[in-house]
Amino acid sequence: MDVFFQSLSVVLQPGHLLMLVCGVVMGLSIGILPGLGGIVGMTILLPVIYGMEPHTAFALLIGMVAVIPTSDTFPSVMMGIPGSSASQATIMDGYPLAKKGEAARALGAAFTASLIGGLFGALVLTLIIPIARPIVLAFGSPELFMLALLGMSMVGVLSGTKPIKGILAAGIGVMIGALGDAPAVPEYRYTFGIDYLMDGIPLVVVGLGLFAFPEIVDLMIKGRSISDVATLGKGWLDGVKDTLKHWTIVLRCSFIGVIVGFLPGLGGSVVDWIAYGHIIQTSKDRENFGKGDIRGVIAPESANNAKEGGGLIPTFLFGIPGSGSMAVFLGGLLILGIQPGPAMITENIDLVYTAIWSLALANVFGAILSIALSKPITRLTVIPFSYLAPFMVLIITFACYQATRSWGDLVALLVMGILGWVMKQYGWPRPAALIGYVLAGNLETYLFISVQRYGFGWLARPGVLILAAIITGSLAMGVFYQARKVSKASAAESGKRA
Amino acid sequence: MRKYILCLGLVFILVASMAMVPPSQAANFKGKTIKWIIPFNVGGGSDVWSRLYSPFLQKYLPGNPIVAIKNMPGGGSIIGGNYFHTRVKPNGLTVFGSSGSTSFPYLLENPKVKYDFAKYQIVFATPVGGVCYINPDLGVKSVKDLKGFKKTLAYASQGATSLDIIPLLAFDMLGLDVKAIFGYKGRGPGRVAFEQGEVNIDYQTTPAFIKNVRPLIEQGKAIPLMSWGALDENGNIVRDPVAPDIPSMPEAYEMLHGKKPSGPAFNAWKAFFLAGFGLQKAMWLPEKTPKDIVAAYREAAAKAIADPEFQKIVDKSLGGYTQLAGKDAVAAFNQVLGVPKQDRDWLVNWIETKYEIKVR
Repeated sequence: MDVFFQSLSVVLQPGHLLMLVCGVVMGLSIGILPGLGGIVGMTILLPVIYGMEPHTAFALLIGMVAVIPTSDTFPSVMMGIPGSSASQATIMDGYPLAKKGEAARALGAAFTASLIGGLFGALVLTLIIPIARPIVLAFGSPELFMLALLGMSMVGVLSGTKPIKGILAAGIGVMIGALGDAPAVPEYRYTFGIDYLMDGIPLVVVGLGLFAFPEIVDLMIKGRSISDVATLGKGWLDGVKDTLKHWTIVLRCSFIGVIVGFLPGLGGSVVDWIAYGHIIQTSKDRENFGKGDIRGVIAPESANNAKEGGGLIPTFLFGIPGSGSMAVFLGGLLILGIQPGPAMITENIDLVYTAIWSLALANVFGAILSIALSKPITRLTVIPFSYLAPFMVLIITFACYQATRSWGDLVALLVMGILGWVMKQYGWPRPAALIGYVLAGNLETYLFISVQRYGFGWLARPGVLILAAIITGSLAMGVFYQARKVSKASAAESGKRA
Repeated sequence: MRKYILCLGLVFILVASMAMVPPSQAANFKGKTIKWIIPFNVGGGSDVWSRLYSPFLQKYLPGNPIVAIKNMPGGGSIIGGNYFHTRVKPNGLTVFGSSGSTSFPYLLENPKVKYDFAKYQIVFATPVGGVCYINPDLGVKSVKDLKGFKKTLAYASQGATSLDIIPLLAFDMLGLDVKAIFGYKGRGPGRVAFEQGEVNIDYQTTPAFIKNVRPLIEQGKAIPLMSWGALDENGNIVRDPVAPDIPSMPEAYEMLHGKKPSGPAFNAWKAFFLAGFGLQKAMWLPEKTPKDIVAAYREAAAKAIADPEFQKIVDKSLGGYTQLAGKDAVAAFNQVLGVPKQDRDWLVNWIETKYEIKVR
């Protein structure tokens, strides 16, 4: 415990605070720019930390990565364009709110949720780190496969009234995810001799293609501002109140965020969708989701900030990164001369606590700065979109080109964009396609390993059975609510007739 | 007459100007930026390695040029390698950083590979070692107990054409029945799989072994079997200096078979071991690079390695192995190239029959 507070005093030294604020400002900027996320931020900072003292470097790196899920809410809410892969689900309800002129309220709620989620993530990290090793070790390949399957089961809720289209869209996503090198044999799939396709299509290209491109096209066609009303409606304070009113959602979704973040292999890219799906599943009144329900903003935003804390656990304890940005962070650790491993919680516990404090403080700074910025930035929604569009096209093209810095990125963006636009026009659920794409690799890899190692025996493992029960339960609940809604509707109808 | 004088004058100027140019101009990179192509992502092992080296190369290269790292990931480093081969001019301003994952497809003659290390000039190389360990529940106390060991073991592998050729072929040569389970994304997940009991034999590179497996050994959760070894000055594989208490793979072979390893299997194993571990990471200059530039690079590398500040980095972040500069690197790489083609063909055939995949 002494070390815990000693680390706080280290973090509060002016030099460290300065670094932390630098990291936070940088993270906020990267988050606001659509498509740029933690990987880009880490890549920019990695050369800078050379020769730095580890505590200082941690303040900078973690300050940066912690607040990206805070500020990436801006483009998600205001333009329907994901600020980074962590805020894709925020679009579902945040963007309709902005259209109604309630952007300020949505942002206020999102930042409060991000703040509480981030702090809760840091708290859970502190409590869980002594017992994290056995928990991580309890999840073998069969269990990780089941977790990926649990993620896939969210497709059901996210497709709403169009389950068949949802499943097909998820199938398309899985197929896109299968492009490139196969996980277990030295083979390349559907590359047609094109070098670019050897590693598959990057996440940022798929994300921006499916979500940003169609939105820009449609706004251009409409040719007016994003907000349907000229005034900005309710202020951000109402959003804060909304979040505080739904505090149980915040805690539940932050918990989901930490868990998804710290299980290696699942990756953080779908945590927002899992939280969003969870909140729809567990709500009785779900008519407003997708039309501007504030709970649909609070859920993903509390989860995505909490995820960053969780993601540090496998990186520190096992040297296996849970996400792309953590993979670069791991390289940063090696540059600083730190070998991750079990010794992190004995010899280097001070560094771990520094990381936790940096995470917590960065979330506070990030939320305050974002709220301060939200007033001027929300004005963008009343500007005619034709002024904004060229700038947005430039940014998303730039962000995609960051992915592998090859021309293929731009071609792939166009192809994915057209696919996304067609899906949007015909009402195919794009979140389902995205989830399929993200989880394709994990599903295949872990199934392959499970079958190679255990034959069919893996199906009888207790962890697998528990997760199977959870999946069945969540699907059954979805069907039950859906059926009740339908019967209610028909009852109401027959009532009318009578 | 005037014409004659003019001619003579011209000839004189020509001769004089030729004489003014020294036979070998010393390379100087003052004000230049050197692009160091790393065919992997930022934050990967090769990227970290290049970033540890670059400030010191910057310090010792003549004219103190900026050494900028250009990450060019894709196709398991084949894309970056091919770019280097086809697009780079031999002016010393673009260099290449390879790793074992770059040299393996080259040695296996993967049809996608266009680069050819035999034509390049090696500047320096960084070795690493590997240590193999086993689950104690199997009743094996040391490598000697593997004599006549009949149980089927499981190993978490990244793929039969990856660096895992070294452990997989070593297991085969030692007569162990090991089922390779493919699909793991690296040694980290492989080690977690070992700790979970999903697999029961594994190896780690020495830095990861020291930090992550030594504690397991102390808790009685792992038994070290052998290291892959290290190369000595005479080209023999000896005990790994970072894990001197653990027998090397050739020693283990001798313990189990009663004779020193030889034949195509061992020749191929040694070549791939050198390419994958002995010269795990190396810096290269392109074909036809002028001699003075090569010399300048090798000298800078030697000075960088001798720098006491850099030695600290070697101990802390590069596993503490002696870095090979200039001649040592050339000699070691010639050993890799010196392996007869039929031995390499033997290996390709072994992979293709054992794992039922197509290599070439």
